[in-house]
Amino acid sequence: MSRTSAATARSSAPGLAPDAGGRRLPRTLHPVAWWIWALALATAVSRTNNPLLLFLVLAVLGYVITMRRTEAPWARGFKYYLYLALTVVAIRVVFRAVFATGITPHDHFLFSLPHLPTPDWYAGIQIGGPVSLEALLSAATDGLRLACMLCCIGAANTLANPKRALRVLPGALYELGVAVTVSISVAPQLVQSVQRVHRARRLRAGRSKGLRALRGIIVPVLEDALERSLRLAAAMDSRGYGRAGTATRRSRRTTGALMLLGMCGLCAGAYGLLDATAPMLLGFPALLAGGLLCVAGLRLGGRRITRTAYRPDPWRAAEWAVAGCGVLSAVLLFSNAGFNAAELNPSIYPLSWPTLPLVPAAAILLAGTAGFLAPPPSAPVRPGIPAQRTEEST
Amino acid sequence: MTARRGAPGLARTTAALALTVAAFAGTAAPAGAAPQPMGQCTTSSGVVLAVDFSHWGGPIYRSCGTTPTTGYELLNQGGWRTTGTGHDGPAFICRIGYSGHQGGKQYPTPQQDDCVLTPPASAYWSYWHADPGQNTWTYSQLGAMLYKPKPGSVDLWIFGGTNIEGTQGRPTVTPDQLRAKNAKPTGGGPVPRDTRTAAPLPPGVDTGPAPENPPPADPTTPPPPSPSLSVTASPTPSKSASPTPPPTPTPTPSATPSATTGSPAVAAPGPKVVDAAPAADAAHDVGSWVPAVVTGALGLLIGAAAVFAAKRRRRTE
Repeated sequence: MSRTSAATARSSAPGLAPDAGGRRLPRTLHPVAWWIWALALATAVSRTNNPLLLFLVLAVLGYVITMRRTEAPWARGFKYYLYLALTVVAIRVVFRAVFATGITPHDHFLFSLPHLPTPDWYAGIQIGGPVSLEALLSAATDGLRLACMLCCIGAANTLANPKRALRVLPGALYELGVAVTVSISVAPQLVQSVQRVHRARRLRAGRSKGLRALRGIIVPVLEDALERSLRLAAAMDSRGYGRAGTATRRSRRTTGALMLLGMCGLCAGAYGLLDATAPMLLGFPALLAGGLLCVAGLRLGGRRITRTAYRPDPWRAAEWAVAGCGVLSAVLLFSNAGFNAAELNPSIYPLSWPTLPLVPAAAILLAGTAGFLAPPPSAPVRPGIPAQRTEEST
Repeated sequence: MTARRGAPGLARTTAALALTVAAFAGTAAPAGAAPQPMGQCTTSSGVVLAVDFSHWGGPIYRSCGTTPTTGYELLNQGGWRTTGTGHDGPAFICRIGYSGHQGGKQYPTPQQDDCVLTPPASAYWSYWHADPGQNTWTYSQLGAMLYKPKPGSVDLWIFGGTNIEGTQGRPTVTPDQLRAKNAKPTGGGPVPRDTRTAAPLPPGVDTGPAPENPPPADPTTPPPPSPSLSVTASPTPSKSASPTPPPTPTPTPSATPSATTGSPAVAAPGPKVVDAAPAADAAHDVGSWVPAVVTGALGLLIGAAAVFAAKRRRRTE
């Protein structure tokens, strides 16, 4: 992906933004820049368990989205990701309460659930029993971290145009045309579908709340979202995506073999890095070899596909700034520079107030500067509002 | 534990009963588990807890606890304290600290392991048992909260790596180096109230897989009580409201090297074995709520900025 964006940057470097009298022209940012920013922030979130930092990340996400989202249908969907995040936290807390991990005399006892006795051979899993404040808090912070990562992905889906993101995929991935299209666009399509179905129900004076309404919404939404994704995939297929083109059978097979081997290498490398007992050879070397094979496969596959872009997305200073501030915040959180690593994971047992380490907090706020580093989105062209006025006012 | 009593038809009553009993069990610690001075542990009563800090250059500490207990309670009394992981809760022992060792600092330190996820199998506290009479270690098949040590047994925690079966990474000390040798309690403290005293093994009965070195049962020569034992004979738990406060509330217990007991097993090469007297819990700093308030204010500020910008944009559009 980075290869493509780098190539785009090189090709569009001379085209500087025209002077707008000290004011930046509204335009949409390159989708890859938003994705890099959001994924870097999600990586930074994965490092910490500190609820203060996690809440700060949520605030920063909210700020950037309020500042820089467009009026497109998928850009109104952040609240659905927030609902999903809340559900994640609730599920974690409930599971921790039901499948108790035990209470110690030092813990703060909250309440007690009916205890189901389990036989001796089933030792290790308790159902019900006393629940401590510490257990619930640790489950909540753990869930909050996952929720924050979900919200980061949601922010990328909200801020970046999914169809334009699809265009910058490496050419070799077009082989997987339908699968890639559906997997990338299904979340924004779901959001769109929910809104459409909800509006349709309201117009027909149907109930828009409650469990019955939920059934009436879910089925059409799922059907609609998948159908629209498939339609998009079919449309792309008809325009030449996922076509082997002039490639010979042999080159196709070589590409496939390279990609498969590369993916196996990446999996083995990830396993080797995560499992400390794995042999050293399985870690970085396998990851490196897999990455090289994948790159070779993508190159070989992409070489035979010629694409022309009608309106290429430019990669200018704003894109560098947004992607850079995201990556920088992740690097700062992983660098352990200037703060105590223990502050990223404050202790729950025994309970203590979390601290707010300065460097990670500053790193997260730095990621928030994307809210004004990115150019303002172009205002929607609405009937009744002259185009000139809109341009002046924003 | 209580639902077995309830008839199937009386579901609501059973649930209520279970709720109350479980609440009772949750608030009140099981009676009987208490720290004891090392001299109170004998070959047939009390459990010896040994923790090996040699990975960080420390000694092997051993202390004594009364028996109706769990491995977890044994490790969380008398100045001992553990930390679980964020992922598994307190039941997974991730850090162990003793208030008499480095001021209660828990090992591994947060720099070495953040104790968020389950520690790797190459560096964790592994749990070993030796039942009375055995001189080989058994890798614990149960967690610390579920395992109930037998009277007269030894529990050992060592830091390092094992394989899943526990055949590699075995302890270098033997149970006999740590086990209580005296048949009667020494040190002048109260006799541990032991309700489930196991019958003493008849001589010659083989209890384990080929014990190479049966424990020397010599009740004729009890180890001489060391001077510090008489001082710290009464356990001084910090939070228990005992009607008679001990005359010397010593937060830093004087650990006495048990090499003075003159046992030949202790003199064997290896890490130093030190008796850890029951001590007060290490002070825990709850911290300040100021950072939380600061973060809240910061969040409000960011939110206000976003709302302001959104309003301005809506107005100008």
